[in-house]
Amino acid sequence: MSEKPLISVEDLRVTFRTPKGPVEAVRGIDFELGRERLGIVGESGSGKSQTGRALLRLTASNGSITAKRMEFDGIDLIKASKKTLYGIRGNRISMIMQDPKYSLNPVMTVGDQIAEAYRTHSKVSAREARAKSLAMLEAVRIREPEKVYGLYPHQVSGGMGQRIMIAMMLIPNPQVLIADEPTSALDVTVQMQVLALLDDMVRERGMGLILISHDLNLVSTFCDTVLIMYGGQIMERLPAKELHNAQHPYTRGLLNCLPRMGGGHGELPVLQRDPAWMQPQGHSA
Amino acid sequence: MSAPEATTRPVGGLRAWLLSDAPANVWQARAQRAYFGWLTFKSNPIAMAGLIIIATLLLIAAIAPLLTGGAGIEQNLGNRLQAPSSEHWFGTDELGRDIYDRIIWGSRVTLYIVFLVSIIVMPIGLLIGTIAGYVGGWIDTVLMRFTDIFLAFPRLILALAFVSALGPGLENAVIAIAVTTWSPYARLARAEALTVRSSEYILAAQIQGASTLRIVIFHVVPMCLSSIIVRLTLDMAGIILTAAGLGFLGLGAQPPLPEWGAMISTGRDFLLDQWWVSTIPGIAILVVSLGFNLLGDGLRDVLDPRSGASE
Amino acid sequence: MIEIDRLNIRFGTGDNVIHAVRDASFKVAEGESYGIVGESGSGKSTILRALAGLNDDWTGTMLIDGRSLTQHRRKQDRKDVQMVFQDPYGSLHPRRTVNDTLKEPLSIHGFRDADARILAILKEVGLGEDFRFRYPHQLSGGQRQRIAIARALILEPKVVFLDEPTSALDVSVQAEILNLLVRLRKAHNLTYLMVSHDLAVVGHLCSRIAVMNRGAIIEEITDEQLGTGEVEHAYTKQLWVASKGYDAEAVAGFVDME
Repeated sequence: MSEKPLISVEDLRVTFRTPKGPVEAVRGIDFELGRERLGIVGESGSGKSQTGRALLRLTASNGSITAKRMEFDGIDLIKASKKTLYGIRGNRISMIMQDPKYSLNPVMTVGDQIAEAYRTHSKVSAREARAKSLAMLEAVRIREPEKVYGLYPHQVSGGMGQRIMIAMMLIPNPQVLIADEPTSALDVTVQMQVLALLDDMVRERGMGLILISHDLNLVSTFCDTVLIMYGGQIMERLPAKELHNAQHPYTRGLLNCLPRMGGGHGELPVLQRDPAWMQPQGHSA
Repeated sequence: MSAPEATTRPVGGLRAWLLSDAPANVWQARAQRAYFGWLTFKSNPIAMAGLIIIATLLLIAAIAPLLTGGAGIEQNLGNRLQAPSSEHWFGTDELGRDIYDRIIWGSRVTLYIVFLVSIIVMPIGLLIGTIAGYVGGWIDTVLMRFTDIFLAFPRLILALAFVSALGPGLENAVIAIAVTTWSPYARLARAEALTVRSSEYILAAQIQGASTLRIVIFHVVPMCLSSIIVRLTLDMAGIILTAAGLGFLGLGAQPPLPEWGAMISTGRDFLLDQWWVSTIPGIAILVVSLGFNLLGDGLRDVLDPRSGASE
Repeated sequence: MIEIDRLNIRFGTGDNVIHAVRDASFKVAEGESYGIVGESGSGKSTILRALAGLNDDWTGTMLIDGRSLTQHRRKQDRKDVQMVFQDPYGSLHPRRTVNDTLKEPLSIHGFRDADARILAILKEVGLGEDFRFRYPHQLSGGQRQRIAIARALILEPKVVFLDEPTSALDVSVQAEILNLLVRLRKAHNLTYLMVSHDLAVVGHLCSRIAVMNRGAIIEEITDEQLGTGEVEHAYTKQLWVASKGYDAEAVAGFVDME
């Protein structure tokens, strides 16, 4: 990479204390993010969501994050104070999550929420915040932004809710966006439209994007690089275009067990889990 | 499952049976559930405090004859209003009765009240609420208006009315309290039933041809039970106090029954100089009410399906 | 085996009437596997639920096994038609063991040899005796879905409705469940009616597929057509393109279909 990466992670580990003993959700992963689209793919329990949260230190209180290095723009995210983190979260690194029904405040109008997000990180007047919010609603291709500004979250559709989330998260002009299953709750055509929007906005602003998803097909067609996670570790790392040439048996297994349109009705090859995959993989992947 | 399994400490015997992944029969499965509930409960020190208090109450009531010299009703007018001493740990009241004995025997009365109210309030509230919530329609309307009627009456006044109609006495006071207490439970059960009603496991039962009654009893009620139990435990303090209040007014327990509220009442004439006559029973009520409150809080953590603690 | 003709379902009253299903008609032969795809609000799940007898507010004609269905279902009618729901975390009662859940339909319909049937069906869905007395929270998503399938099959129905049966499952688990469903259909000559938003899954399991949009069935296609993309209606084509993955140019041409 010619320029310095935006985010640099080495040996990230996230462990939770539970009544049944410690649970290691992320077990030593390395990656870097530049001005590109990085996809993290895995099934449930693979540690992909926990990785996203760990970057912003949003892990639950019974979890602990350790890493040899976890840096954003020269700032050590592991040792950063609360004050530094507040200045980063939602401002320089933003995050959008799966279901706008749950991530939007149900008792505030959507417009006010976007304005609030703006005023959290910039000292501007209410009027200016409103104007900027309206501009942002237009930027996320919502028709009739004035009307939508005054709606409540339950009055908007899923796709529109995600656009509003995107507006809210991009209004402070962050450098990195972490998107955790941003389109999983949406219909497939709406998914594509929201992704197209993300595509344009990330490109325009020169942002880095981490897209976390379980949908291998989606990530491989949208992202530049793909990380495959299993059991808290990275199994394979490759350019999205090369996914069909994946080498690791887990990746191949995942690819093979997907049904395809026009693929007939034959038995789908079932993924055989090799216990060796749970062993520490080392950092050569 | 693709998540790594955490390692657990090696176990044997009963513990292994309780922690095993493959219960062999219904009883083992239910015992396991209870065990996990117990573990969650145990980890909450405040809840344990509540449990200890209530367990102590139960123990005292059970072994009352062993703990006391008499039945607490023997009068000894020559010995009245004695201060607490080594002979009478809590002193004596205005009729010379040993207050310690009366407190101990009074625990049985308190438990009697608690038990009677619970077995009246819980089934009535549950059934009315779950049927109203699940079936909906005009049945819901009728049942809820019926509930509202009882909800509208101020508890103490209705209790007074009942007691004056039925005559004073502990059972009648308890029935009066129960009759005025069940309404909120019906509302609570109805609210839970409304949420549960559209769950897919209910739809699955309907598709199988389960009758309404079967669905209400086996599917809806188990989901509503925890909220009701928690609410009841938390209300218990209030119920004991209301019974004490009725006793205070002379409408509940009749002398010489050692009901704590009645004891406070008869002692109020002597409050300034012989404080122990009223105060000691007051402390007893305080401690037991507190115990129920703490227990209720702890139970909520264990039983509430939403808190995710037991699932 | 399944037939609906000019089925109409409306919700709400007065000004707020939603015409959820408009004049839907299709036929499914015995032993066939028929799919209904559409996006949210298309009415696909509504049709399924009406056919399953979970919703009585419909007009039109519905027939199962040649018998016309009425708004009121009797217990005997229920045996022939069973359903597998989408959410494995919601379709099993959290306070009842697997045994309770499987025993109930048998008790309702008066089957005697409950124990033997329960053990047999558990084996058939690929779970051992160990699972019999577990609670749902002790099972993984795939295992819960197997229990849901076992529950649907224990009454030996002729028709099984599948409401997005694998949408909530991991990809690797989805493959196992799809294989199980295919195997069971062949073994028992079941008729499947499957609703899904995922074209690839529907194409794998079904031979004919109805495409729904805003309550109406706009087109009926075959699984081969899903392979080639030679479909008639523009909406279907758009759905097909979106299912292939992200393609910036293609997405730019998407329109909201009324």
